[in-house]
Amino acid sequence: MQERIGVFVCKCGPNIGDKIDVDTIVNEVKNIDGVVTAKSHNLLCSNDGLEFLKEEIIKGNLSRVVVAACTPKMYEQKFMNTCEEAGLNPFLFHMTNIREQVAWVTPDKILATEKARKLCLAAINRMSFQEPIEKKEIDVQPDVLVVGGGVAGLEATLTLTAKGRKIILVEKDDSGKTETTESAQFRRVYLVEKSPCIGGVSARFEEVYQTMECAPCMLSPELQEVLQKENVETLTYSEVEEIVGSFGNFTVKIRRKARYVSEEACIGCNACFEPCPIEIPNQYDGGLSKRKAIYLPYAGALPNVPVIDRLNCLHLNGKECNACEQACAFGAINFEDEDRLIEKNVGAIILAVGSKLSDPTQFPQFGYGKYDNVLSAIQLERLNASNGPTGGKILLRNGQEPKSIAFIYCVGRKEKGYCSGICCMYMSALAHHVKEKLPDVKIYSFYTDLCLPKKEHQKIFEKVLAKGVEFIRSDGSEYVDYDGKKLIVKYKTESSVKSVLADMVILAPPVEPAKDIEKLAKLLDIPLDEHGFFSEEHILMKPFGAPLEGVFVVGTCQGPKDIGDSVAQGSASAGKILSRLMLGEKLELEPIVAEIDEEICCGCNTCIGLCPFSAIHRDVEKKVSVIDDTLCRGCGTCVAACPTGATKAKNFTMEQISAEIMEVAK
Amino acid sequence: MKDEKLAIVTFLCNWCSYEGADKAGNARLNCPSNIRIIRVMCSGRIEPQFVIQAFIDGASGVLILGCHPGDCHYKKGNYKAIRRISLLKKMLRQFGIEQDRVRLDWVSASEGERFAKVANEMAETIEQLGPLPELKILN
Amino acid sequence: MPKPKVAFYWCASCGGCEEAIVDLNEDILKVVELVDIVFWPCAMDFKYDDVRKMKDNEITVAFINGAIRTDEQEEMANLLRKKAQIVVAFGSCSHLGGIPGLANFWDRETIFESSYGKGCPSVDNPDGIVPQTVSKVPEGELTLPAFHNTVKSLDQVIDVDYYIPGCAPPPYLTMKAIVAILSGELPEKGAILAPEKTLCDECSLNDSKPEKISIKEIKRISEVISDPEKCFLAEGVICMGPVTRSGCSEEGDGKCISANMPCRGCFGPPPEVKDVGGKMISALASIVGLEGEENMSEEDVEKLINQIVDPAGYFYRFSLPTSLLRRKRMSNPAKEDRYNG
Repeated sequence: MQERIGVFVCKCGPNIGDKIDVDTIVNEVKNIDGVVTAKSHNLLCSNDGLEFLKEEIIKGNLSRVVVAACTPKMYEQKFMNTCEEAGLNPFLFHMTNIREQVAWVTPDKILATEKARKLCLAAINRMSFQEPIEKKEIDVQPDVLVVGGGVAGLEATLTLTAKGRKIILVEKDDSGKTETTESAQFRRVYLVEKSPCIGGVSARFEEVYQTMECAPCMLSPELQEVLQKENVETLTYSEVEEIVGSFGNFTVKIRRKARYVSEEACIGCNACFEPCPIEIPNQYDGGLSKRKAIYLPYAGALPNVPVIDRLNCLHLNGKECNACEQACAFGAINFEDEDRLIEKNVGAIILAVGSKLSDPTQFPQFGYGKYDNVLSAIQLERLNASNGPTGGKILLRNGQEPKSIAFIYCVGRKEKGYCSGICCMYMSALAHHVKEKLPDVKIYSFYTDLCLPKKEHQKIFEKVLAKGVEFIRSDGSEYVDYDGKKLIVKYKTESSVKSVLADMVILAPPVEPAKDIEKLAKLLDIPLDEHGFFSEEHILMKPFGAPLEGVFVVGTCQGPKDIGDSVAQGSASAGKILSRLMLGEKLELEPIVAEIDEEICCGCNTCIGLCPFSAIHRDVEKKVSVIDDTLCRGCGTCVAACPTGATKAKNFTMEQISAEIMEVAK
Repeated sequence: MKDEKLAIVTFLCNWCSYEGADKAGNARLNCPSNIRIIRVMCSGRIEPQFVIQAFIDGASGVLILGCHPGDCHYKKGNYKAIRRISLLKKMLRQFGIEQDRVRLDWVSASEGERFAKVANEMAETIEQLGPLPELKILN
Repeated sequence: MPKPKVAFYWCASCGGCEEAIVDLNEDILKVVELVDIVFWPCAMDFKYDDVRKMKDNEITVAFINGAIRTDEQEEMANLLRKKAQIVVAFGSCSHLGGIPGLANFWDRETIFESSYGKGCPSVDNPDGIVPQTVSKVPEGELTLPAFHNTVKSLDQVIDVDYYIPGCAPPPYLTMKAIVAILSGELPEKGAILAPEKTLCDECSLNDSKPEKISIKEIKRISEVISDPEKCFLAEGVICMGPVTRSGCSEEGDGKCISANMPCRGCFGPPPEVKDVGGKMISALASIVGLEGEENMSEEDVEKLINQIVDPAGYFYRFSLPTSLLRRKRMSNPAKEDRYNG
C-alpha cells in the first residue's frame, strides 16, 4: 500500500522563516512519490499549529507525518500526542531539526536551505520504513523486598507501606446491571535482616550527631511500627539465597536460619540467658563485654526473641546441656529447629545491607590489638553507652579514668583511597561526650583533613574546639608506641616529627562494605565499585538506582554516609517504586527497545555480555538470545553488534537509518 | 565562502552530543552546513555498515559523536564505539580511504562550543582531503 | 521427450568447483541419466562455437563457477546467459567474488608490476615485458583475453537466477539444487540455495561458548593449539561463523569446524547483513576487550585492535567484489593504463 505522507515545515516565526527558504522546500517535497500534503506553518507548536496538524492528519488520511521544526527535545512529545489524538500511531511520525541545527548555525540562506532540504528528504525517505510501536504493559507484583534492617531499610519499608489503595471495580453483567465491588489493596514488604534484630548499626549509638540524640530512642517508634505493621513481614536472622526475574516480577528465595527459639512462643523475658554456661565476647560491644550462647545482641533489641548461636551452644554441639530449655517457662526453646527456605514474589528490590568499620588491625602502625588502650571508635561508643560494658563510664582497661586521650582521624584513608565522610563528625561527637563526662581529660585530635560539609557540622566542631580539644594537623603518618606506662603518638607536621603521650588512643577506621555485598552483587549480577561498595547507576542523577532496573542500592552499602543521608535514600528509593509499581495498575514499558528475531538469531552469544542492563539472556533450549523488554532501554548497542542482523532497534532500524544516510550523504 | 558541498554524515547520540549540537544552535555558533545530522540513541548503535554506506552513498566524511567516556547514558555504549571505529578505520585504510575521513569524538550536552569546534575542524579536514577517491570499476 | 541440457563453465577459479561436481560420486550417474551435458570444458571436449551455435534458451541450466577477471570470462558468461534458461552462480567466486576477488585490493597495474615487474623474485624479465591483448608476431597477430582492472562476481556481469554458495559447494547442496531445478520446483529467483541462519546455529562448539564473551587477546590459528571442544571466538581465534550462512556440511557441524579450523566465511553473509566486514567489525570489536573496557587507554585499544592484522582480507576473504566498497580506491587511478589493450 502506498503511504500517505504529510510533511509540515514550521517557520517558527522568523527563527526558521527568515533563515531558510521554507516555500522552496515545501514545493519540492510536494512532488515526492507518496507525499500527499506538504505545508508550512508559522508556529506549529502553538495551539493553533497543533490543531492545524491534527486536522491535516485527519483530513488527508495521513499514514505518515514528518515535521521539520525545532529540536525534538522540545516538542517531539507534543507532536506525537497530536498524532495520537488524530488516530495515528505516534511512531509513524518523525521530526527533523531545522532550527537549532540548521537555521541558527548557518548564516547563509542558500546553504541553510540546502541543508534543511536534505534533512527533510532524509526524514521523508525514512517514512517507508517507519513502523507503529504499541505501548506495552505488563502485570506487576507491587510487593517489595528490602534487604537490611538498618535506618535506610526501615525508612524504605515504612514509606512503601504507609498507605494502601482502595480499588473500586465496576462490572457490567450481560443484562446491563452494574455491580460495584470495593477492595483494599496493600503492598507487602518483606524485610530481610541477617542479624537477629533490626535497627542496624545506628541502634548501637547512645548519642548521634548532629542532634546528640539517643539513637535507640530515636529509632524505637520506627522499629515498633515495622514489627507491628500487618503488611510488613520482618524476616530477621535470614539471608537472600537466590533472585531471578526482572523489574516487576522477581522471585526471591530466602533462607530463614534456625533460631532454636520459637518466635511465636517466646515472650522475651530473657530468663534463658542467665543459666547458659557459655560466655563469649560480644561483638556488638566491640568485644568489650561477654554474651551467652543464647542471646540478644543488646538489651532492648527488637524483635525481642533471642537466638541460640549454633557454633557455641553446648547442646547443639553434642554436649549435654539444656539449661535454657529448663529455664524457659513457655516451651519456646526448640533444639530441633532447622533452616527453612521460603520463596517470595516481589516487583522491586531495595538493598540496604549497610557497611562496617574496618578492623583497625589492618593498619598495624596504630598498635590496635597490641596495646590494651588503643580502641576503635565503636568501642569508645560502647564505653560511653549507659547499656555498655562499663555502664557508661569511660575507663581504661585497668579500671582507671584516662587523663589524656589521643583521637586519630583518617585512619586507613590513604590505604583505602577514599574519605569516609562521617568520622570527623562522630569523633567530634565522641570527644564532646568524653569531655562532658571527664571535663579535665586532655584530648588531642589528629587529622589529615577535616570533612565538615553539612550545615550543622561546623557548629559541632566549634563546640568541641571550645571545650579545649586540641586539633593537630598531621600528614597522616601517625604511629603509636608504648613506653610501658603511656601510649606515645608520634606524628609528622610539615616541618618536624613530634609526639604526645596519652593514656588512651581512639581510632576512626574507614567505613568499608559489609561482607554480604559481594554475594548479593553476584546474585543480581550488578557491579561493585572499586572500593567494593555497590555501584550506582549514575553518581549524580541516579545515585541510588542500581544499574539493574527495579533494584536500588541505598544507605551505606552504596558508599559511606550518615544516618540522615541513608534515611533520605531509603525514602527516595521507596518513592521511585511507589511511582512505578502502582497498586492495581500495570507497568508501562519503554517503547523504544531492541528485539531479536529468533528465526534469524544463530545463538552466538555476542550480544549477551554487551548489555549494560543485563537485559539479554540465552534461551538454552532454543539456542537463541532473548531480550527482556522490561529491562531493555533501547540503546541499540546489541543491535549494532549482532552479526546476523537478527536484532532490531525499534524506531532506529537498519533500514530507517540507511534511508536517512542515503539522502544526507548525497 | 566555502561551498560546503562535501557531505559529512554526522551521527549524534540522543543524550549528549545531540543536545550539544542544539546548544551550539542556541548560542548561534556557526557550523558548516555540510555537517548533516542523523540522531541515534547512543554511539553504541553506530554500525560500521552505516559508515561504509555513507561513503558509497557519496559522503566525503563521517563524524560520530557520543557522550564522553564514562558519561554514556547507557553506561558503556561509547566504549564499543571506540573499538568498532578503531577497527573500521584500520580496515578502511586497506580500501584506500583515509582514516581522517572518519572521526569519533565526544561532545557533552553542555558543550555547544565544543560541538561547533569539532564540526568546523571536521569540515576543514574534509575540505583538505577533498572528495573521496572515486570508485573506479574499470574493465 | 528430449533430456534437459546442462552446461558447466569455469571462470576465475581454482578448479575446486569442478571437483565438487565430480564429488557427487555415484549421484553424477543419476544426473547424467536425467540430463544431457552439452558443455563442460574442464571435463569433456567442447568448443565455444558449439555453444554459439545453440539456440537461445536451449540450455536448461548453466552452472558457472569462478569470478569474472578477463574479457573471455565475461564474454562466455554473456553467451551462456543467452543460451540458458537458468543460470546458477556456483561456488563462492561466482557468488561473491571469492579468493580471486582479493585482487581488488590492487589494480591491473600493480598486479602486473608485482607479477612481471622488477620486484617479482620469480620472474626474470629484464625487458619488462607484460602480457598484451594483441601481439604482432611474424606469423600474424596473437591475442590474449584482456585482464580486467577489477574482479567481479557473476551477477555483476550477467543476471543470475540462483546461487549455490561454498568454496567449494558441498555435493549435497548441489544435488538438492539440481533435483529442484529438474523437477521444476524452482525457488524464488535470486535465492541462495543454503540455510539462512548462520553457522553458530548448527556448530557443534556452540554449547561450549560462555554466555558472556570477552576476548582478551586475538590469536591467529597458526599460533595456537586449538581445543577441538571449544568455540574458536571465545578462545580469541577469529571465526567467521556468526556472520556466515550455515549448510556447508550435510552433517550440520561445519566443514572447517569439524576439521578444527575456524569458519572462513565462504558461504557468505545471511540476508539481513548488508556488508559482512562492517558487521564482523561491529561484532568482533564489541567483544574484544569487553571486560575492563572502561579502564582502557587509547593505546590499549590500539594495541588490541592491531592484533587483528588484516581485517579486510580476513572479513572479505571470499566476498570483496560484492562488499559495499567493492575494491580499494587507488590513489592515482587516472594514470594511463598501458595494459588495457
